[in-house]
Amino acid sequence: MLSLKLERRGEVSRKFSAAVSGFFLLAGLFFASIIFELLGVSAVETFSRVVSVFTSQSSLMQAILRGLPIGFAALGLCLAFKMNFWNIGAEGQMYMGMTAATGVVLLHAYYGYIPDFLVFPAMVAAGFLAGGLYCTLPAFLKVKFGVNEILPTLMLNYIAMHFVNFLITGPWRDPRGFGFPLSIIFPPYARMETFLGHANFIGLPAAITAAALIFGLLQKTSIGFEMRVLGQNFEAARYAGVKIGRTLLTGSMVAGGLAGIGGLVIVSGMLGRLRPGAPAGYGYTAIIIAFLAFLNPWLAVPAAIFFGGLLVAGDVIQATLNLPFAAVQIFQSTIFLMIIVGEFFKRYKIRVVR
Amino acid sequence: MIGIGFVESVLAGAVAAGTVFLLASLGETYAERAGVLNLGMEGMMIMGAAVSYIFTNALGHGAALLTVLLVGLLMGLLHAFFTVSLKLNQVVVGLAITILGLGLSGLMASSEIRGRIILALNPEATRAVLASQEAPKLPLIPIAGLKDIPVIGPMFFNHNFLVYLSLLLSFVMWFLLFRTRFGLNLRSCGENPSMADTLGVNVYLMRYVSMAVCGMLGCLAGAYLFIGYQPFWVEGMTQGRGFISLALVILATWNPLRAVLGAYLFGGVEALQFRLQVLGIAAQLPYFLLMLPYAVTIVTLTMLSLESVRKRVGVPAALGVPYSRE
Repeated sequence: MLSLKLERRGEVSRKFSAAVSGFFLLAGLFFASIIFELLGVSAVETFSRVVSVFTSQSSLMQAILRGLPIGFAALGLCLAFKMNFWNIGAEGQMYMGMTAATGVVLLHAYYGYIPDFLVFPAMVAAGFLAGGLYCTLPAFLKVKFGVNEILPTLMLNYIAMHFVNFLITGPWRDPRGFGFPLSIIFPPYARMETFLGHANFIGLPAAITAAALIFGLLQKTSIGFEMRVLGQNFEAARYAGVKIGRTLLTGSMVAGGLAGIGGLVIVSGMLGRLRPGAPAGYGYTAIIIAFLAFLNPWLAVPAAIFFGGLLVAGDVIQATLNLPFAAVQIFQSTIFLMIIVGEFFKRYKIRVVR
Repeated sequence: MIGIGFVESVLAGAVAAGTVFLLASLGETYAERAGVLNLGMEGMMIMGAAVSYIFTNALGHGAALLTVLLVGLLMGLLHAFFTVSLKLNQVVVGLAITILGLGLSGLMASSEIRGRIILALNPEATRAVLASQEAPKLPLIPIAGLKDIPVIGPMFFNHNFLVYLSLLLSFVMWFLLFRTRFGLNLRSCGENPSMADTLGVNVYLMRYVSMAVCGMLGCLAGAYLFIGYQPFWVEGMTQGRGFISLALVILATWNPLRAVLGAYLFGGVEALQFRLQVLGIAAQLPYFLLMLPYAVTIVTLTMLSLESVRKRVGVPAALGVPYSRE
């Protein structure tokens, strides 16, 4: 009788790994097109819309802008997942980042605190701190009580969402906004495009700098080394004298902080105000990006821009093919699933045995 | 403004809204008891809602519910294939299935594609049916005699059959889990899979079975949400209810009977905030009410981390860990 047997592979070469990932990325697109065709939607037409996003300059700028918040959050997740800290709360941390950034603007606009030129730097600091602290809460529970972080980080997303809804329908609602749940429009010096003409011109360099910093932190510092050891083997890390509490809290602070910066980009670079539901699932998309980038900070930003392009394509598809935005989620999920199946084939090979 | 009528309506609403959570968390309880964390619940639920919407309009309730169960079975098996056979990370697979479900349901239920599916299933469908954002609701089955008891009557005895079924299921599933050999085997897969394997339990099979059950109940929960509770299609209408069900499983400490209480409590929160919002009283309070289930879950998780509590309630120790026989 024939049966299948899994065998663990040893270290695989970079080339092999890239080939496997490339193959499964294509497989993801292939499955997406099968789903589209099954539902009677022309896959060719859908794909051509997606490709067209990356060929025009204005929509490419849009793709980058949409990709930036995802990219920042994904950089944080690369760090968190490297520590084996399963933060699925980037969405909530983004909410907190945008809340804090908006809070700074409101303090300035309503009470006149903070001089104009300091508003943006203060927003950045507040966004980072708020996102970071929100992420250290589950990290603290893990360190202190051994609570697994998966569900707390997920739950905190919804708490943050309802908290923002509370603020935006109540105390933070624009008094001249005809009762709509929106904050006041940010003044120009609180908006990213003011500085160099387009939000991307400061956002993209900042994202690349952040990628370099995360890479440096992980590869060149002792605490980064401890983070990686912690991620590979918790018990070994403890035995080797890694200060687990300090490492986890620092790492989660940075990871959440970057998601918070992502939230700042949404309010300051994209919307120019706070509104309900603003992160629009970017925090979940960032999880896909972290995997698509194999937790490599250098790849996270380009991967995020690729997905930003998919989001822009979603708008185009909506407008021209009369399909809902959900079409984009089909791409996202099939790519995601196939990338992780690819990880499987990097770890195992299948043998037919008799 | 707030009298016995209000209380009655909130309590009846608690059961009606809570049944969504109950069905889903019964399924999730089995998955987690067998050691599989199913974060795909949200995706399964929304698929159940979309399929019940489309198929009820095309073929009626019976065919819709059967299709929903079939879709749930497939989604559960898909999850199991990735997490049990391929041993992929359960968090990642679950999230991917949630996103897939959100995407597929949104696409299926969009006006053009929905129309095409309905016409393929039932060429006689009228224009009105094709355009409808709604579907006929499941009929109420009031229990004669009992439904007129004040408070208790409207709360428990004036619902559609899925509400009664969910209550029945929680007893049956509790019994199976804690009083039979099958349940013992299933729990051992979540407790100590390698030990279970040595004792002759087929861990892979058990996890497949529990994921199949979980998928079917998750989709059924979505179907109930649509044809049993609020039959108006909105993209992404589950709004995190699948994730709330995961919270509920913890609150109920992986026990199908306790899940009933928790489900109605969460349902009550939903019913109360909705009614407060309609009445326009305490306009800000509802947001804090809505945070409550999540906050309570985090507190519960923290308490469950205490060794003494863990021992008492029997937290599945191998939850989330792929089993490999090496």
